[in-house]
Amino acid sequence: MKHLYFLIILLAAGLAARAQQNLDVSLVPKQLLPYASSVIRYCDESVQVDDPGSQTYRIKKAITIFNSSGDSDAEILVWHDKSTSIRSIKGLVYDGSGKLLSKFSESNFEDAYAGNNFSLFEDTRVMHFRPAVVDYPYTIAYEYETREKQTLYFSRWLPANNTNMAVEHSTFTFICKPGFNIRYKEVNLPVKVQTGTNKAGMNTFTWQVSNLKATREEPYSADPETFLAMVKIAPVNFKYGALNGSFNNWNELGKWMYTRLLAGRQVLAPATVADVKELVKDIPDEKARAKKIYEYMQQRTRYISIQIGIGGFQPFPATDVDRLNYGDCKALVNYTQALLAAANIPSYYCVVEAGSRKVNFDPVFASMNDGNHVILCLPFKNDTTWLECTSQKMPFGYLGDFTDDRTVLACTPEGGMILHTPKYIAEKNLQVRKAELTLDSAGEVAGSMKTVYKGTQYENQEELTYEAPADQLKQIKKTYHINNLEIGRLKFDKIKNIYPELNEELQFSARNYASIAGSKLHFTPNLANRSRGIREVRNRLTDVCIQRGYTDEDEIIYTLPANNYRHEKKPIAISIDKPFGKYTASLTLQGNKLIYKRNMKLIDGTYPKETYAEMVKFFEDIVDADNYSAILVKE
Amino acid sequence: MKKFLLALAPAIFALCTSVNAQDFDYGKFSYDELNSKSYNNDTSAHAVVLKEYGNARIGEADRITVEFDYHVKIKIFDNKGFDNGNIEIPIRVNSDSGEEITDVEGVTYYINEKGEAVRAELNPKNVYTVKDNIYWTTVKFAMPAVRNGCVIEYKYHLRSPYIFKFKSWDFQSDIPKVSSVYQVRLPAVYNYKISLRGFLKLLEGKEYEPQLDRECFSVNGIKADCSRFLFAMKDIPAFKEEEYMTSKNNFLSALNFELEDYTSLNTGSKVKVTKEWKDVDREMRTEESFGSQLKKKDFFKDKLVPVLAGKSTNLEKAQAVYHFIQKNIKFNKIYGMYCGDGVKKSFEKHTGNSADINIALIVALKSAGIDADAVIMSTRDHGQVTKIYPVLSEFDYVVAKAEIDGKSYFLDATDPLLGFGMLPFRCLNDQGRVFSLEKPSFWIDFAIQKETTTYSLDFKLQENGKLKGTISSYLTGYDAYRKRAQIKKFNTVDEFIENYDERMSKIKILKGTINNIDSLEAALIEKYEVEIDVYDNLDAKKFTFNPFLLNKITENPFKLEERNYPVDWGVASTERITLNIELPQNYKVEYSPKNVGLALPDNGGRFITNFNTTGNVFTFSHIIQLNKPVYSASEYPYIKELFNQIILAQKVDLLFTKG
Repeated sequence: MKHLYFLIILLAAGLAARAQQNLDVSLVPKQLLPYASSVIRYCDESVQVDDPGSQTYRIKKAITIFNSSGDSDAEILVWHDKSTSIRSIKGLVYDGSGKLLSKFSESNFEDAYAGNNFSLFEDTRVMHFRPAVVDYPYTIAYEYETREKQTLYFSRWLPANNTNMAVEHSTFTFICKPGFNIRYKEVNLPVKVQTGTNKAGMNTFTWQVSNLKATREEPYSADPETFLAMVKIAPVNFKYGALNGSFNNWNELGKWMYTRLLAGRQVLAPATVADVKELVKDIPDEKARAKKIYEYMQQRTRYISIQIGIGGFQPFPATDVDRLNYGDCKALVNYTQALLAAANIPSYYCVVEAGSRKVNFDPVFASMNDGNHVILCLPFKNDTTWLECTSQKMPFGYLGDFTDDRTVLACTPEGGMILHTPKYIAEKNLQVRKAELTLDSAGEVAGSMKTVYKGTQYENQEELTYEAPADQLKQIKKTYHINNLEIGRLKFDKIKNIYPELNEELQFSARNYASIAGSKLHFTPNLANRSRGIREVRNRLTDVCIQRGYTDEDEIIYTLPANNYRHEKKPIAISIDKPFGKYTASLTLQGNKLIYKRNMKLIDGTYPKETYAEMVKFFEDIVDADNYSAILVKE
Repeated sequence: MKKFLLALAPAIFALCTSVNAQDFDYGKFSYDELNSKSYNNDTSAHAVVLKEYGNARIGEADRITVEFDYHVKIKIFDNKGFDNGNIEIPIRVNSDSGEEITDVEGVTYYINEKGEAVRAELNPKNVYTVKDNIYWTTVKFAMPAVRNGCVIEYKYHLRSPYIFKFKSWDFQSDIPKVSSVYQVRLPAVYNYKISLRGFLKLLEGKEYEPQLDRECFSVNGIKADCSRFLFAMKDIPAFKEEEYMTSKNNFLSALNFELEDYTSLNTGSKVKVTKEWKDVDREMRTEESFGSQLKKKDFFKDKLVPVLAGKSTNLEKAQAVYHFIQKNIKFNKIYGMYCGDGVKKSFEKHTGNSADINIALIVALKSAGIDADAVIMSTRDHGQVTKIYPVLSEFDYVVAKAEIDGKSYFLDATDPLLGFGMLPFRCLNDQGRVFSLEKPSFWIDFAIQKETTTYSLDFKLQENGKLKGTISSYLTGYDAYRKRAQIKKFNTVDEFIENYDERMSKIKILKGTINNIDSLEAALIEKYEVEIDVYDNLDAKKFTFNPFLLNKITENPFKLEERNYPVDWGVASTERITLNIELPQNYKVEYSPKNVGLALPDNGGRFITNFNTTGNVFTFSHIIQLNKPVYSASEYPYIKELFNQIILAQKVDLLFTKG
């Protein structure tokens, strides 16, 4: 009891000390102002492991908002669920000179459902509050604490979690009893950890940063983990509800996940097992069998997100999916794995960080924080195949740009393994277009155009192929930026392979494609593939990262109304060759044939930040070349 | 031939479905339904409602409620229609009472891999109730076994204490419907106004005439007869949204009910709910969150003393009051015509809904001696309001109208960047109803809101192939508003200009100034000294040049052949660009585009270009003017063609040569 009393006094004293801090905006160091929509004046965060099964997170923070872009940084969001409780939220709002405007407490917060749009049910909720201040700058200071009944994962420390946010001072302390071991990793931190023991005899690990300047959003930037300051922490021994375990590496974490979360969830009804065996009984080849089962799964399921309790990490049993025919990514992968197992095809449940930006599992730091999606790996000899189980349409073995080319965690009975998903290279992400068109003397263009999409470019038009013909005709007018486009015929043909291919055949006409001025025809020979420029960035800070490469080839042959046309200005002939991309475009007149050719390749990879200026120029030149307007004059 | 007939059978079946006052049987399916591959009336449909039946009545069990049964059967053709198998029913809740959903039942029918017809029942355990916020809860469930070609069927019961807003019925949705039937039983003690919206027609005939049910309703010894209505439609097309349109609520076919009066079950006397505008006027004047708030002008008396100091004219005073309210109460993004916290509390809390803010504005204006009234209205997303009689639930917003020196100004102080006399874009909708404490209310048209952009470009072509000179712009109305909002996202004007420069890769800004950023009533004026990369050098003999340096339109915003709904831009707009270029001494313009002059019928708008050359200097100007905020569907081909002609004209380059 005495201890508790002491602690309360200490807390109160801490708040008082902070409350006295002058929050006048003119005290923000001048060097932190450029590009800052908000400045964190101070932020003290701590995570304390109270006992092996629970943790307390505390935060005390003051942030100044300089303009409307920073308003979202003033919003306080406190996530919670059944295993989390929130205590003592309170705060103060100040004007620019540091004069107190108003106070707020828990009663000013609104509690809302935090599941996302496509989610049937999640038990996550969010308490949120946004201060009402009309004049900039303003400052809010607040504090709260949350208690969570698990020690499997801890939130990462990210002193500046947004662009255009500067940090005056920020600290993070991890507190635990001497027997509780942790692993941690410091990323891009100027000052290393300080360890110690507090008055209660608990171990403390403290990190701090001061005077971090605001970063700006930079196009083609790399994974923020490569340049943002951050500390990651993982437990050695942990409790998660009724489950406990320990891990030091991915192998051990993968093993725990397999034995405690996955094993036993794959039992299927005997009738379903018999159905699967019947389905593949005449297919000798293992891969062909897997394909058949994958398509069977696709036909009878759909993706619906449901996250309840340890459902956040544990899949629903395969029998549930078999009965309901829906599930989230975990449930569908687990179900597919069960179906494959019924046909004696082994597979791995793989956790991945999905998204078009490639984010890797950190091979040297195992933690439950990595990953937001699950896919399935089929370890065929020399022919590892990957399956996305949440789509009813994806070709067997194709991952697309959602989970390609990154490290993932495979959870197997032998333990976790870090595997790498396939990469789609620039040469194979192809879009090849050939068109034969006539251009008449009134300026109307008409003819046929065939386009083949391969690799990740398969997805350019895939969605459209599932539309009814009448809707396809309407929507394709938005795909092609050709005015007065009239579609005669549109046909799609898909080859659903591991490297899928989509063929599009279009017959069309467009009046007024060329503008007639006296004896001159003005028009843009590049009819269907015009690039857009990229934004310049002065004083770029981060490396240039092209996530995915591609190759486009266009050839358009125009038949002119007569033989006797000549170029009024120099026909385009351009060739650019850079480490990150290549581009050529040409226009040649042969009798009544005008031939336009364009080739563009963007090569994925990470390039030094100085390359960016060259890339801006590259795209600028391409935009110019793509919009080249030909003037043909009749002799 | 036989095969052909079979293929046609499902469609014939569907079309012959007769409308019936009774609910259709639950749990029955037909092979025709399961086998059909598409919906003949709309082959692009991914799903179609086969039957939909609703039944609503006033319940008298332990309290007065609206009792509503919903039952639907949907055919899902392919996976693009799977969303119809994820059901979300939003219900209104209060802390003490609210709507409840019970008796959810569902079943999916499908043909399995073996060719057998199978049914999968919805497990009540998989029906989730999610509390969204303090006003709304959503009941959610996903139908089991949804797959291509399946038929889903579900029903539920809803009990609502909100008898003022009897359950409305949407005949039309984003998928087509074969039939939709709504049976409504209303006791004579409750008198509702029923209105049908949209273009579609209700089925007519003897069976759709209202029926009388004797003494069907009895509470506290009061007995009442009921009217039984049967509303039905057949072959309802899917509603497809088009670009540049206002709320789809204006066009979707639906039935709405508004309680007009009822007989008090305690006293037996008649209580009017809404009837005529004069009744509404009287009630609104005493309504705590409306009329009572309008009477609080004394609240601002001393607060306005410093605000009005030195202001002599009424206009100056009104502008000062307007900016004072703008700066002191932040909009909480909640629309309403009734105050949330009231004038006093919201002013003290510095936050409020649209009524808190604008009623505070009206009251403060009055306090400053300005003649000001409230104008209630409906925002664009909320839809249009009924004009023939008052339907208060159709209004969701209130703005101020001030009369100053014989001129009317519409004002909304919810946005600190709006100039005096401008309404936010969301308010550019239909008409409003002017409310004053003294006089009867009346309809009023909002003044047409305008936006104009005027650019003036003045360049000299340098020997190094670059254009050097100035770009000046002069923005008013929403064009200025949008630009101000962009600028305010940055800490300084310099950071804004730097960002602007980075976005225009060919144009290098050497120096820039922006005037009137905070003078909201004045035009926003930008002036940039720039250098533009046009040519690598001037070594060639001939040069082409496209004079549409800024805001070139390359794509027609209108692509479809025809249009069903008006094109609603909300504002009238004008863009003027004047370009002046001085070529080096020994150059001359060899070819210039022909001048164009096009106009829309009925003074709807115009596009004009004009080219002039004197020696080595040429001037090019163009105007795009769209005079109407709304163009009817019949005017669509004209605007589409106007844009086509603009694009065509903008393609033509001019040519100049070294002499």
